Amino acid sequence: MEKSVATLDKGAICSSWNYCGQRLSTGMIDGSIAIYDTSDPASSSFTSTFKFKVSEGSIVKVLWVPPEYGDAIACICSNGSLSIWEELAEDSEPVQWKQCKTFGGSMDQVLDAQFGNSHSSLKLTVAYANGILKVYEILDPMDLKNWQLQAELQNVTDSVTKFGKASCLSASISWNPQRSDTCPASFLLGLNSDTPQLNSPKVWEFDQDHQRWLPVAELADHDDKGDQVYAVAWAPNIGRPYELMAVATLKSISIWQMASDPDIDGRLSVEKIATFPCHNNQVWQMEWDMSGMTLATTGSDGRVRLWQSNLNGVWHEQAIIEPTM
Amino acid sequence: MPGLLTGSGDSSSLVPFSPELHTPAVYPLHHGLKPPITPRLSISWSSGNSLRVSVFRSPETTNTIEDEAEVGGKVVELKLSGEDVHSEVNDAVRWRRIVYGSVSPFAHLQNKKNAMAALSELQHSAPSQLEWSKYVLEYSKEINSLLGNRKSRPTSLIEDPKTVLKIDEEPSSLKAAWELLEIFYANKQSQSWIPEQLVDWLTDYDSLFSGQVPTVHLRLVEFQAQLINIQTVENEAAYWQAISSALSVGWLDIVVKLLRLHGSYQLNQLGSRETENGLVEAVAVLISKMPRMRVDLPDGKLGECCYNKSDFMKAWEKWRAQITKLDCSAYWLQCSHHQTKENLKNLLQIMLGNINTLTNATCHWVELYIAHFLYIRPFTSGLESMHVLAQKCIQLKPISTPHKLMSLIIGILGENTEVILAECSKSFGPWMIAHATELLTAGNIQAEILLKEERHNLGGISIEESHRLVYAQVLSSHALTWQIAPVYLISCMKHGVGLLEILLYKQPVYHSQVLLKNIEICRLYELDSVSANAMKIVGMHHWKHGRKGSGIFWLQQARDEVRLNRIAQKLFDFVGKSISDESFEQWEGLIELMGTESRTVGGLEFLHKYRDFKKSLQQVQDGVATDAARKAGESLISIMKNPSTPQRFWLPLLYDSLKLLTWQEGPLLNVSQCNLLLNKLQESTVAKLRPDFVEVGLPPHALSSVRAALATNLGRAILEE
Repeated sequence: MEKSVATLDKGAICSSWNYCGQRLSTGMIDGSIAIYDTSDPASSSFTSTFKFKVSEGSIVKVLWVPPEYGDAIACICSNGSLSIWEELAEDSEPVQWKQCKTFGGSMDQVLDAQFGNSHSSLKLTVAYANGILKVYEILDPMDLKNWQLQAELQNVTDSVTKFGKASCLSASISWNPQRSDTCPASFLLGLNSDTPQLNSPKVWEFDQDHQRWLPVAELADHDDKGDQVYAVAWAPNIGRPYELMAVATLKSISIWQMASDPDIDGRLSVEKIATFPCHNNQVWQMEWDMSGMTLATTGSDGRVRLWQSNLNGVWHEQAIIEPTM
Repeated sequence: MPGLLTGSGDSSSLVPFSPELHTPAVYPLHHGLKPPITPRLSISWSSGNSLRVSVFRSPETTNTIEDEAEVGGKVVELKLSGEDVHSEVNDAVRWRRIVYGSVSPFAHLQNKKNAMAALSELQHSAPSQLEWSKYVLEYSKEINSLLGNRKSRPTSLIEDPKTVLKIDEEPSSLKAAWELLEIFYANKQSQSWIPEQLVDWLTDYDSLFSGQVPTVHLRLVEFQAQLINIQTVENEAAYWQAISSALSVGWLDIVVKLLRLHGSYQLNQLGSRETENGLVEAVAVLISKMPRMRVDLPDGKLGECCYNKSDFMKAWEKWRAQITKLDCSAYWLQCSHHQTKENLKNLLQIMLGNINTLTNATCHWVELYIAHFLYIRPFTSGLESMHVLAQKCIQLKPISTPHKLMSLIIGILGENTEVILAECSKSFGPWMIAHATELLTAGNIQAEILLKEERHNLGGISIEESHRLVYAQVLSSHALTWQIAPVYLISCMKHGVGLLEILLYKQPVYHSQVLLKNIEICRLYELDSVSANAMKIVGMHHWKHGRKGSGIFWLQQARDEVRLNRIAQKLFDFVGKSISDESFEQWEGLIELMGTESRTVGGLEFLHKYRDFKKSLQQVQDGVATDAARKAGESLISIMKNPSTPQRFWLPLLYDSLKLLTWQEGPLLNVSQCNLLLNKLQESTVAKLRPDFVEVGLPPHALSSVRAALATNLGRAILEE
């Protein structure tokens, strides 16, 4: 059933595949990045092609920039910085990875970052340890060096209230995977912080007319709003009349439906359609497959769990994958 | 992927489901790494349903083993679902042949369906069921032929009289299941032949049950192995058991062949065992004359075919009368070989349809069921009575864990589409179910409602569509099969295109072959924005990897004006700066390339003129030749008049030409030319207010300098005129 596709160098601690699953970037504990490639699209054996040093500290997370902007990655380092690196061949020089931008740092720790996928311009959301989320926008699609701060927000439904000193341990951002310019840009943000009001996952949508971000939905029951959130994932929608999202908190994994269109009051109604207790298993990562029919999760128990809905719309744990020698 | 249907259950819910009862299956993931392993895994879905899991070793470990020391982790790929099918057809190449081969029959049938629907809409009439069943049967036959040839038909071989059973390659359950569906659903015209079709089916596939339960086939295989060592077969119980078993399931040729191994046929025995031999031969003849309600029999098969029911009934009555007559014959008294007498009489009982004898002769309920059709009730009267009969057979031959084909038969006879779907999906995988729904719904209103009704729980799609999506996902998981997924996706009315777009987006288009395939598929299904995006990705990939020409080409194909304008700006800046530079030639090709397509996007045709203009301007700056300056002035006007010169370049052009505008020796431009330039200048200042304005790197006083210069020139021109 399984097949080994790559052997990672010593010190690898995180990894990320590019949009088509043909390039792998791994972050190392010594602060370097290794890129793995395959020469043939039909092959599934990947070997290391580039290795470069990004930071003195360890790499915490690595992610790919959308391919419309070239072959580039963003990496979050243990010192709290986020840097963007790009693969370039300039003036008949060989291909190299070059740094083009850095965000954050020791004073301004980055916890998570995700790229949006609108056709018109590249947006980058960065969550900081002080509970602030910043949205950056690229100025020139040919150049990953120039970014402009578009918005700065706190993960609260009521935009008037501001919390001064929040301290976040982790953050999770998931953009609406829909690549369309007709629907507004939106993403989901959940935090693991000491400020309960910030934690619950909220759907943020860009209001084109007023050029601002608005919280349009909150994915938490009344009693669970303060629960720390470990991971959120917005499912691809291939035609459902509603959106599907998964939320992992310290208590449970839950699956939410959100109406695609606002109701008469202009709100997007949400409904929790399934909850599964976590039993001390802290969920770190959740990924939807390309059709949005299967959710894969992994966490502190070191297993991969697959979740599916049956034909009656009842969600259940379909399988557990347990790593073994 | 939607969960599997389970059981039949109550009618209120489609799928009886209780979360308490469902325990997820646990699969081991072998990564081959030595501990300690960090619990932190990294997961990523690849195309389709392949999941990649990165497993990391604990970085703190000081490993003493040399070869392990450098390994920090493994990435393992898992393909979810679809593996059931691979267990059926374990050869990947053969499996892919089936997958590829089934595309064309499937697509052909979908086209027919669409054409018929369009026609019936035009004529305001319901599509012809008869015509449709014809297409479905054609489709079923084509798919069936892909699944392999009929192989293990037990045939008697003349070459070796002791070979009663020819054992071929193991037939596949997939084909057996498909044939069952074909018999009951696709082959509507031959409903009355169902019993005989089932007899043939069991002949081909009885061996499949052998792994799980004893079968007649297995009994014959075992007997054949013993046969070489047996001297007088008629003294062996196994011999008679093999004969009665084979007879009970209608393998008449084998029975006759076995009977002729009887010792009384030997020349030296013939004299003393004449009556006995006569009885054996009489039974053999009766067996070979058995009336069969069917059109024809394959070569080597025994029986007398009757085409219609009345002919068959007459022949059947006559045949039964002959059996009864033989049974009551006085010759039995003269038969001295006890075993022969008893067992031949037993065979007559089988032929007369004695239920106890049949039950003893058969091994499992499907065999008993077939025996019923052969000897007790040669006609069927609807699925309901067939189902009742099957239940009766199961009671007589109970089985603890039914074989998957048995469950399928029960589902079919019980007219329970849900069970059939569940069995197909569970035992035969997504390929089977995606292709079999066409058979299940052919002329079956209930199944059609069940499969085609749109369900909110499934996100507004039907079960049929959901199964096709699942199959398309399986196809998408492999680099050699993703190209055929679009055929199935496009047959999904609601979610197909959405998934197709994602599938196409996830292809590694920077491999040119993949890109071309991608473009071809997009063109076929009119997904222009998807192919434009793919070309944009490729364009950027080439541009960033130093292949600027290819980059521009693909960005032009993608009609990506934003990026092309950026490139144009870069080229403009470059041409402006490095007119004397030798590296200009390197860029000239790009300008050339941008120029050819300029009418559509990019608008760099003017760069040629700009280059010429710059050259003449340079000459002006080098020496002081009024002629050269006048020429430069003319080319400036020509560029500014040219509609392909992008507006954002107007001001930089004018700023470059300051020297011309303030030419010492006299105005180079006449009044109308000056007015033209002033208008252009005005327009470009207004353009600044527009949201899509692109800032160019000019000094802040540029505008005022140009304006002043133009005003001076205009004044002088008016004076001169």
